[in-house]
Amino acid sequence: MIWIAIVGSALATYLIRSLPFAVTIRGHLPDAASRYLDALPVAIIAALVGPAVIAPAGALTHGAEPVAAALVVAAVAWRRSLLAGVIVGVATVALLRLI
Amino acid sequence: MGTVLVVGTTFGVIARQSGLEPVQIAAMSLLVFAGASQFAMVRLFSESAPAPIVIASVLFINLRHALMAASLRAQLQGLPLVGRLVAAFVLTDEAFAMATGHFRRGGRSLAYYFVFAFTLYVLWNMATVAGIVLGDAIGDPRRYGIDFAITATFTGIVVLAIRHRSDAVIALVAALVAGGLALAGASTVAVITAGALAPLIALFTRR
Repeated sequence: MIWIAIVGSALATYLIRSLPFAVTIRGHLPDAASRYLDALPVAIIAALVGPAVIAPAGALTHGAEPVAAALVVAAVAWRRSLLAGVIVGVATVALLRLI
Repeated sequence: MGTVLVVGTTFGVIARQSGLEPVQIAAMSLLVFAGASQFAMVRLFSESAPAPIVIASVLFINLRHALMAASLRAQLQGLPLVGRLVAAFVLTDEAFAMATGHFRRGGRSLAYYFVFAFTLYVLWNMATVAGIVLGDAIGDPRRYGIDFAITATFTGIVVLAIRHRSDAVIALVAALVAGGLALAGASTVAVITAGALAPLIALFTRR
């Protein structure tokens, strides 16, 4: 099952990356479509964050994750660094779980 | 380049600690080679999501690469088809950002793209292996909050990607809808549902 998903995902990813190089598309994308596609990556990644912050392990959080996520947002916005965010996030969660 | 090593190692650690086999983890980095999707796959595997859901989620996350490829078409037009197909395999956010910068500064060399993109590929896979080894050594990830690293990485990616107020609104809506769906017990379809619906907001906002 996992192997099917891995190989399938690899094929899907390659198809997306190679299609525009292999096929010629004439004309421009409609404005609505390009706006939608523009917003898609951020939305998907944010959608990955939501459950992990609100409902880690499938049940309502005890509070450590939302606090850590807020601090990650602040750290990354301030330092413009992914690494700073990861360090702050991991340290906060570890600390709050100790308490 | 440094980011690739850190994120790649993090991926290896998290994937290993989620219970995936080293071969499976290495295969993901070798074959899929897409950071955000690989993290998403680990998350979905740990929720025992069926393969079609995993593949569909990856497809959605990587749709942006079609746009990137489309915007690089003009520069790669001179290459034979085989060259373009190879270029497509190593097309990532980082390679695209670098190539766009290079061409905008007036650069014409395609070797630049290939060298950079393949270096990223090699580093990503080396970092993955390092992460697998490290993941075995660390022990219980929850104790050190390491299980949160993936969420922190995603949160950071979202923050760095926000350019307009509408981006922030879309991200917030996507996160809340997905979180709500997960709480309601629909965790396997939460990401793809919320991720596909929230961008519709972009159609009604002004830039």
